[in-house]
Amino acid sequence: MVEHVQMPLLVVEDSDEDFEILQILMEEMNVSRPIYRCKTGDTALELLYQQTTTVETDVPIRPAVILLDLNLPGIDGREVLEQLKQDKQFQSIPIIVFTTSSDPKDIKFCYQKGANGYLIKPVSPEKLEKNVQAFVTYWLEANTSLDWNDVNVMG
Amino acid sequence: MNSVRHTPVPDQVLQEHDENPVHLTDLVQPHGVVLVLEKSDLTILKVSQNSHDFLGRSPQHLLGQALSVIIESDFIDSIQHCVNQAGDRSHYLHLPIATPDGPAGFDASLHVTDPYIILELEPAHQQTVDELMGTQHSVAQSIATLRSISDLKTFLQAAVEEIQALTGYDRVMIYQFDEQQAGSVVAEIKPEQEVSYLGLRYPATDIPKIVRDFYQQGMVRSVPDLTASLVELVAVQEHEDIGPMDLSRALLRGVDPCCVEYHQNMGVVAFLVIALVRHDTLWGLISCHHPVAKTLPPYIRSACEVLGQLIAAEVTSKVHEDELSYLSKLKSIQSEFVSSIAAAQDFKQALIHPQPRLLDLVKAQGAAVCMDQDVTLIGSTPTLDQVHAVIDWSLTENSGSLFHTDCLSSHYSTAVDFKENGSGVLILTISQLRRYLILWFRPEVIRTVNWAGNPQASIQMIEEDDEQQMVLCPRNSFEKWQETVEATSRPWKDAELENALDLKNAIVGIVLNKADELAQINLALADRNRELDSFAYAASHDLKEPLRGITNFANIIVRRYADTLDEAGVQRLQTLVRLAQRMDLLIDALLKFSRLGQAELNYEQTDLNGLVQNVISVIKTGREGKSPPPQIDIPNALPTVDCDPVLFAEVFSNLINNAVKYTNEPQAVIEIGCYSPEQYGEQHPRDDLPPDFSSPIVYVRDNGIGIRERHFDKIFRLFKRLHERDRYGGGSGVGLTIAQRIIERHGGQIWVKSTYGEGTTFFFTIRYNRFS
Repeated sequence: MVEHVQMPLLVVEDSDEDFEILQILMEEMNVSRPIYRCKTGDTALELLYQQTTTVETDVPIRPAVILLDLNLPGIDGREVLEQLKQDKQFQSIPIIVFTTSSDPKDIKFCYQKGANGYLIKPVSPEKLEKNVQAFVTYWLEANTSLDWNDVNVMG
Repeated sequence: MNSVRHTPVPDQVLQEHDENPVHLTDLVQPHGVVLVLEKSDLTILKVSQNSHDFLGRSPQHLLGQALSVIIESDFIDSIQHCVNQAGDRSHYLHLPIATPDGPAGFDASLHVTDPYIILELEPAHQQTVDELMGTQHSVAQSIATLRSISDLKTFLQAAVEEIQALTGYDRVMIYQFDEQQAGSVVAEIKPEQEVSYLGLRYPATDIPKIVRDFYQQGMVRSVPDLTASLVELVAVQEHEDIGPMDLSRALLRGVDPCCVEYHQNMGVVAFLVIALVRHDTLWGLISCHHPVAKTLPPYIRSACEVLGQLIAAEVTSKVHEDELSYLSKLKSIQSEFVSSIAAAQDFKQALIHPQPRLLDLVKAQGAAVCMDQDVTLIGSTPTLDQVHAVIDWSLTENSGSLFHTDCLSSHYSTAVDFKENGSGVLILTISQLRRYLILWFRPEVIRTVNWAGNPQASIQMIEEDDEQQMVLCPRNSFEKWQETVEATSRPWKDAELENALDLKNAIVGIVLNKADELAQINLALADRNRELDSFAYAASHDLKEPLRGITNFANIIVRRYADTLDEAGVQRLQTLVRLAQRMDLLIDALLKFSRLGQAELNYEQTDLNGLVQNVISVIKTGREGKSPPPQIDIPNALPTVDCDPVLFAEVFSNLINNAVKYTNEPQAVIEIGCYSPEQYGEQHPRDDLPPDFSSPIVYVRDNGIGIRERHFDKIFRLFKRLHERDRYGGGSGVGLTIAQRIIERHGGQIWVKSTYGEGTTFFFTIRYNRFS
C-alpha cells in the first residue's frame, strides 16, 4: 500500500503582497497542504510539464487544485487555463480563477474554457477573507479531487 | 434678310421623296456596256442597247447566249471565281473580249445582285506604267501631307486640294452632314471667277435618304457626262417581265432626272462623289464638279476611294486650333471647380459661389441648382416658376443624366415665353429620385443661316387632277439665301457637355468620398472607444491591486499587532482601510460608467409599472429596519415603452434612491408619474419642447432638500457631489451621471426642476418606439 501524500495546492499569482495575504489567511485557517507558487504562467506550465517528462522524484507531484490569477506577466492566466483544460493529462485538475476582474467578458470566457470556479479578489479585507474561507472550505476540505496515486495504480 | 416660316412638308411627301427607288432602273450611262447574267450559267439576260458601239455585237446577238461567246474560257473561270466569293463586294478585272474586229481590252466591274450578276465593261484605259507609278506616288504623298496636319480647317482645305490635284475637277468641296442630315460646305477649292458655296447650308431633302444610304456603303459615284443620253437595258424575250434591275452598286447606273436637273441648275456636267464614312456613319461627302464632260480612269477612281477612306478616318481626330485654347480653358475651370467643391463643407454653397464659375463651366449665361424643392437661380434665367416647370417637364420627359438643346421650345413649347433667357438649356440630372439637378441656360441668339438657295424653293405646289399637290423638286438657285432663326441659342459644344457630365461624376464621387470619410471616422471612433474600454479595465485592475494590498496589510496589522498599537493607531489604520475602500468604490463606478457606453442595448417593450414596482421593493428590502419606509405614490399608470429594462431599472433605482437619501424629513414622500407633452407644456409653459415632440415625459418627484438652480447642470457630472462625503448616506457621485447616460443612449433627455428646501423633480423622456 502506497502511503498517501496530501496533494499540493498550486497557486499561480504574480503579486507578492496578494500571495502573502493568502498565505497568512490560509495559515489562520489551518491549511496543512503543501502550497506551490508560480509567479508567471510560463513557470506554472513548465512546472506541470517538466514533471511529466523528467523523473526527478519518486512520486510525481500533481496539484489537487490550481488557484489561478488571470493577469500575469508573459503567458496570462486565460491562456494557462485554456491550455490545461485542453490537455487530457491536466483537464481533470480543478482550476479556480482568483482575480481582480469582475468583467463579465472574463467570467464568461473562463467558464466557457472549463474553469471550475471564479472568485473575485475584493478590496475589502472582510470580503477577501470570506472568499478565501469559502475556497478553503470547499475546494481544500469538502471537495474530493482525483488522487493521482490511484490513477497510477490503475494504469 | 429673310425670315422664313417653314412650310411643313407632309410626312408622306417627305417619305416618298426619301424612298424614291432611284436605283431600280434599266437606264445606264452610255460610256460603257452593262450585261446582266444568270448567276448559275452566265447566260446573258439583259444588255445595254449600246453594245454594238463597244463590243461590235448588237443586243439580239448577245441575249440568251452564254458569256463564253465573247470571253475566253480562262477568263470565264476567273469570273466564276469572283462570283463564288463575291459577297457584297465588287470585283475589278481586266477582260479581253472577242469582237468582230479582233480582241479588245476592257476594264470590267462585276458584282452579284441575286439572282443576277451585273457585269459592267468600259474600254480599257491604256495607262502607262509611269502614270500608274506617278499616281501611286502622289497618293502616298497626299496621305503623308494630310496625316501631318492637326488643325481641322487646314486639313479639310488640304484634302480638297489633294483631290483636285488627283482628279483635275474644276471645283472640289467637302460637305458635312449635321444631325438633321442637312449639309454644309466646310471646304472648297474652285476657279476664282465662280460663286463660292463655302459655308452654305443644304437642306436634307437635297440628298434623299435612300441615296445617303448608298453612300454610307462607302461608294464612289462618278458621272462623266450628265448631258449624255442614257441607254436602256434590253432583255431576252422570256425575261422581259423581270422588271427594272437593282443597279444601286453599278458604276454605270443612269442618273435620276431630279439629280441631273439639280446639277445642271448649278452648271455642272460631270461630277464625282466620294463618301466619307466613319464607324458606319456617313460623316460627309467629297463632291467634285466639272463644267464639261470628264472621264476618270478606274485607277484614279480607286485612288480617290483610298484617299476618301483616309480622310474619313482622320477627320474626327483633327481639331479646331482656335477651339483648342477654349477647350483647355474649360478643362482648367472644370478641375479648379471640382477640387474646390471637393474641399467644401457645404456642397450647395460651393456650387453657387463664386457665381460665374458654374456658368463658365459650360459657358452659360444662367444656371439653376435644384436640390429637392429648393431652387437657386444664378445669372440670367427664366423666372423661378418657369424653372420649376422646366424641371418637372424634364423629370417626366427625359431619361438619362444629360439633356441639351439649343431650342428648348421645339421640345417644350411653353419655352417660347422665356426664349430671351432660356432658348438653350442643358439639364444635368444628378439624382432623379432626390430631385438634384443643375440647369444651365443660354439666351436666344437671332442667327442667320446661309442656305444654298431658298430651301423652300424645293417645295412646289402643282395642279394635278384639279388638286393642289406638293412635290419636292430641285431648286434653280444656289446663291446664298439667308434665313433668320429665332428662339435658338448658341449650340452646346461637346466639350461643354463633357464638362457637365464630369461635374456629375465629380459630385457623385465627392458624395461617395464623404460617406467614406464618415465611415472611417466611425471606425476610428469605435477603435477609440474600445481603447477606452480596455484602458478602464486595465486601470481598474492595476489600481485595485495596490489598493487591496493596503487594505489587507492594514487589516493584518490591526489583527496581529493590536497589542502593540494604541487605540488611535488602530483607528487610523481603520481609516486607511475605509479610504482605500472608497477608492475601490470610485473605480467600480468609473468602470461601470465606461462599460455603459459600450454595451449593446437589449430593447424590449417594457411595462414601466412592473419595472418600477420591482425597483421599489428592492429599495424597501435594503432599508428594512431603518425608520419609516418611504411613501411612494404612483397616481396614474405608467406607459409601456421600448427600452433596455435592466438599464431602466438602474435609472429608477438611482432616482428613487436619491429621493430617499436626500431628505431631512422623517419620511420621504415620492411621486412617480408621466405627462404627455401637452400636459407638460401646460404646467411648464416657459419650457421649449420641440414642436413635433411626442414622447411621454416621466418624472420622479420628492419632498427632499431640493437643489439650488445654480447646481442644476453640475449634478449630472461624474463624481460630482453637492454635500460632504458622508452626509446623506455618502455615495460615489456617479448615480445621476449613469442615469443620464442610459437615457441619452435611449435617445431621450433628462432634466431637473427644484425648489431649494422643498423638493426636487427629475424629468426624462423615453420613446414608445425606438424607431419613431
